[in-house]
Amino acid sequence: MDETLIAVKGLNRSFTSGNSERVVVLRDVDCEIRSGARIALVGPSGSGKTTLLHILGGLDRPTSGMVYWPGLGAFEQLRPRMIGVVFQSPSLFPALTAAQNVALPLILAGEAGGAEAEAASLLDALGLGDLADKLPEELSGGQAQRVAMARALAIGPRLILADEPTGQLDSVTAQLFFDTVLEVLEGANTALVVATHDNAIAQRMDTCWVMDHGHVNSPFPQ
Amino acid sequence: MILIWLRGVLTHRLFRVAGAAAGIALAVGLLAILTLFLASASASMTERAASAVPIDWQVQVVSSRDTEAIGKTLAQIPKVKAVHRARYADIAGFQAKTGGTTQTTGPGQVVTFDEGYASDFPAEVRVLSGGGVGVLIAQQTAANLHVGPGDTVTINRTGLGPADVKVAGVVDLPDADSLFQAVGLPPQAAPQAPPDNVLILPGAQWEGLFSPQQQARPDTIRQQLHVRLKHDALPSDPVSAFTYVTGMERNFEAKVAGKALVADNLGSRLGAVREDALYATVLFLFLGLPGVALAVAITFAVTSSGAARRRIEQSLLRVRGAATKRILLLSAAEAAVAALTGVVLGLVGAVLFARGVPSLRTAAISDPRLLLVALAGLLLGFAAFLLPAWWDVSRKTAGAARRSVVRQYLPLWRRLWLGVALIVAAALFFWMSASTGYQIVLAPEGVAATSVDYKAFIVPALFWLGVALLTLHLCAYLIGQNGALLRAMVAPAAGPLTTIVAAALSKQSGRLAIGIAMTALAVSFAVSTAIFNTTYNAQARVDAELMNGSDVTVSGTSDRPAGPHRAILASLPEAAFAEPMQHRFAYVGADLQDLYGIDPARIGRVTSLSDAYFSGGNAVDTMKRLAASPDGVLVSEETVQDFQLQQGDTINLRLLSAKDHQYHAVPFKFIGVAREFPTAPKDSFLVANATYVARTTGTDVSEYVLLRAKGDPAMLAREARSVLQSYPSLKITDVGQAAHLIGSSLTAVDLGGLTTIELGFAVLMAAAAAGLMLALGFVERRRNFAILDAIGAKPWQLASFLWGEGILVVAGGFVFGSVSGIVTAWMLVKLLTGVFDPPPEALSVPWCYLFAVLCFVAGSVVAAVLLARPSAGHDAEHLRDF
Repeated sequence: MDETLIAVKGLNRSFTSGNSERVVVLRDVDCEIRSGARIALVGPSGSGKTTLLHILGGLDRPTSGMVYWPGLGAFEQLRPRMIGVVFQSPSLFPALTAAQNVALPLILAGEAGGAEAEAASLLDALGLGDLADKLPEELSGGQAQRVAMARALAIGPRLILADEPTGQLDSVTAQLFFDTVLEVLEGANTALVVATHDNAIAQRMDTCWVMDHGHVNSPFPQ
Repeated sequence: MILIWLRGVLTHRLFRVAGAAAGIALAVGLLAILTLFLASASASMTERAASAVPIDWQVQVVSSRDTEAIGKTLAQIPKVKAVHRARYADIAGFQAKTGGTTQTTGPGQVVTFDEGYASDFPAEVRVLSGGGVGVLIAQQTAANLHVGPGDTVTINRTGLGPADVKVAGVVDLPDADSLFQAVGLPPQAAPQAPPDNVLILPGAQWEGLFSPQQQARPDTIRQQLHVRLKHDALPSDPVSAFTYVTGMERNFEAKVAGKALVADNLGSRLGAVREDALYATVLFLFLGLPGVALAVAITFAVTSSGAARRRIEQSLLRVRGAATKRILLLSAAEAAVAALTGVVLGLVGAVLFARGVPSLRTAAISDPRLLLVALAGLLLGFAAFLLPAWWDVSRKTAGAARRSVVRQYLPLWRRLWLGVALIVAAALFFWMSASTGYQIVLAPEGVAATSVDYKAFIVPALFWLGVALLTLHLCAYLIGQNGALLRAMVAPAAGPLTTIVAAALSKQSGRLAIGIAMTALAVSFAVSTAIFNTTYNAQARVDAELMNGSDVTVSGTSDRPAGPHRAILASLPEAAFAEPMQHRFAYVGADLQDLYGIDPARIGRVTSLSDAYFSGGNAVDTMKRLAASPDGVLVSEETVQDFQLQQGDTINLRLLSAKDHQYHAVPFKFIGVAREFPTAPKDSFLVANATYVARTTGTDVSEYVLLRAKGDPAMLAREARSVLQSYPSLKITDVGQAAHLIGSSLTAVDLGGLTTIELGFAVLMAAAAAGLMLALGFVERRRNFAILDAIGAKPWQLASFLWGEGILVVAGGFVFGSVSGIVTAWMLVKLLTGVFDPPPEALSVPWCYLFAVLCFVAGSVVAAVLLARPSAGHDAEHLRDF
């Protein structure tokens, strides 16, 4: 079913820096994400991609404007069931193994039974089976990001927000990994918004939002 | 760059720097307070010792011709405050006719003091009845002669005819042992008992009666110069004061070159107090140093809790070309801020506290040793920051330093079970101390040098270190195993997340074990100090009651006994029980000893009889045996040795008969040994059935009445004084007064004040160890909790990780801490046996305080958990961290 998952109207976000200067990161952003969408969010560094992803995921609040999640339920229910998040920097829980990290959203959602087995299975599907028992510090940056993606996929969310998920991978590995992710997402009608500098990844997405000094161009589905 | 670095550190790591400063402040504050207390206690001990000496020096003039010259020499000593002359005449005996009979005593002495003697030596003569001017007769002599004010006594002078004098008053000579001591005897000579019969005459009367005796028999007349020194000129600590006084005395002896012999009473008293002063030092060190060590450990733990982040920061600096010297300089700058802040806070806190404690002497605040304390605090601060920084920089590659969580390899001390080895070593040293009777303080008589057997410190030091390592070892193992015990402990907080929480905690077993061990040490410090303090107070109370007899004691004489007033005293509102007790005198061979006549079945109602008072049996059994043997008597061990007594032997004691006022032999049966007895002196004494004594002496008069109070003994004493104000000869004392007069001057130490402070510190440090360690760990992992929140953890799920850590710290800390605290207290009580008189039979445990410690520790953990919960809306900021 093609429904609106998230709608944003007149979104502004600004921060006050250490020397009390006001920095406007997002200006008058209007956008909409539908179920099953494939959206690439591109733009230079500092253009507000990460901030927009955080607001879409409910991790941050806008300074002004409105954000709705009509297709995802109440705000408190967004994570982990509805939205999976992959951060720009490695975000694995350092004291848990890769498999335990992947199982974490399932356990947090109250589905602890079989969570680790399911996590191991997902890691295998993504070609990361041999990393299951390793601690995050024993993984390379690229491996950690792939495990983080597996964690985001574990619970089968309706939307995944990924911030540079292939940033630390070489181009071949990035392509292969992204192919696997799209395969996993194919049948689940899960929307995917990826912030990326990788043109190859961006071109594989259906829609491209270009961030430019806080504005989002071409935000609506085509 | 240093300023930029410092600004960054203070902006983003303020909590850690503040935590380190707090640890340093705790260490410095506690050390400073210990120093102030020790200085104040030493000064108090010296002052109390000096004030307890009625006559500082007794200078016996060899030839009366030299009296004036020797007096001048004494007056020229700058520290001499007053010099008075006392003259003694030996006489063949006294005689008095009363009630149609003539009483005669054995040999005695007639004494006179010069003008103004009473004002400078007020404690020598206490008037019991009649006037204080004129012919004064000692209490025992009056009893022997059956005379009172207004009666005539005949003095049988040596080598001359008798002389009659009229008695003006009856007096007590509280310092008779010292007043009549034989001056110039070798130190190893046995102490001589004071004369049984004494009369005091005015100077002119004495002159008239005994100048002829001095001509005829100069060997029977002695002259002494009694000296009062300026006590405020003495050094404050007893050891220095002892050296000072004895040095002054020897200097005087050298000046008079054999013309006088000196009995240095003040020096002797200070010599006895030296041992107590050293015990006070040992007590402070035993009780206080663990707290200081713990504060040092907390400081190091605080600085090391950020080790992961510090290593990463240093590795980044090294990657960018910073040399070792630069990195250490930056750490030193951070250390300087924490150290200076901590030292200032600690010292200011200690001084402010000291000003608010009435018993702490103001002069102690300017004690120069506080500078050493400040220096120690600075060294601690720099070491806590620089040592770990130097270790990382010199031993790890930049890459290795970047790891924050690594697989743990078993360190050598764990593989060797070093904790167990240290505990076993402590047990061995403890056993060795036991074999020497726990003599840790040595202050030989007459020798200036004193020593402390500091090897005794090895026992608690090894035990503490061993317990810390064993706690670390066991906790790291149990937590790292992620077994059923760990899951069971976190399950109440984690619920369905138990497996994940336990897994997460098991990977942090090292950090958690340190937190548990720190908390355990703090709890152990609190528990051991509290138990020792409570046991000490209980024994101090036992000692005070031993000295005073009961809560309140009304003391009379055979002439004016307290017994007739028993009924009215028992009816006082604050009185629970009142029992009479006889206090007579009996000759055992040639030795006059105190005899106490009691009702063994009822004496326990008014006084506590400890098993330690009696040899070879407990107090209850001993009293039962005495009750079962009407003619039974308990004697001292010395008497048993002197007379080679066996159980059941008959011993003839000579008691004074009321019928003819003569001493007659009365047979008693030896049934046991009494080492101590309420109101009894330290030397030999006897305890017998009052009914038998009354029957064989013809009088059932009870000289004493012992009172047990319902509530406050001081209030009961006030009531007693009120009803007995018409009887000034009756002396009323309560147990609180006795506590200040106990022979051991350790009561001057104000152990209660010190341990209150230590207990307060212990609670603070227990709370700091638990809460700070958890809080700093949480601060360090705020981003991780932000990640958990970002992937959908509910607030209660986040909290379960925090509560899980908290449960481990509180439970582990309290279990290990309580067990080690109780064992430590038991060891301290044994090692410091010399502090107790008598030694305690069992430890006294302050359950309420221990419960309060648990509440504080748990409270600080709760506060840390509540503070560490992530606040809404700041997830994104923390996600940007790093």
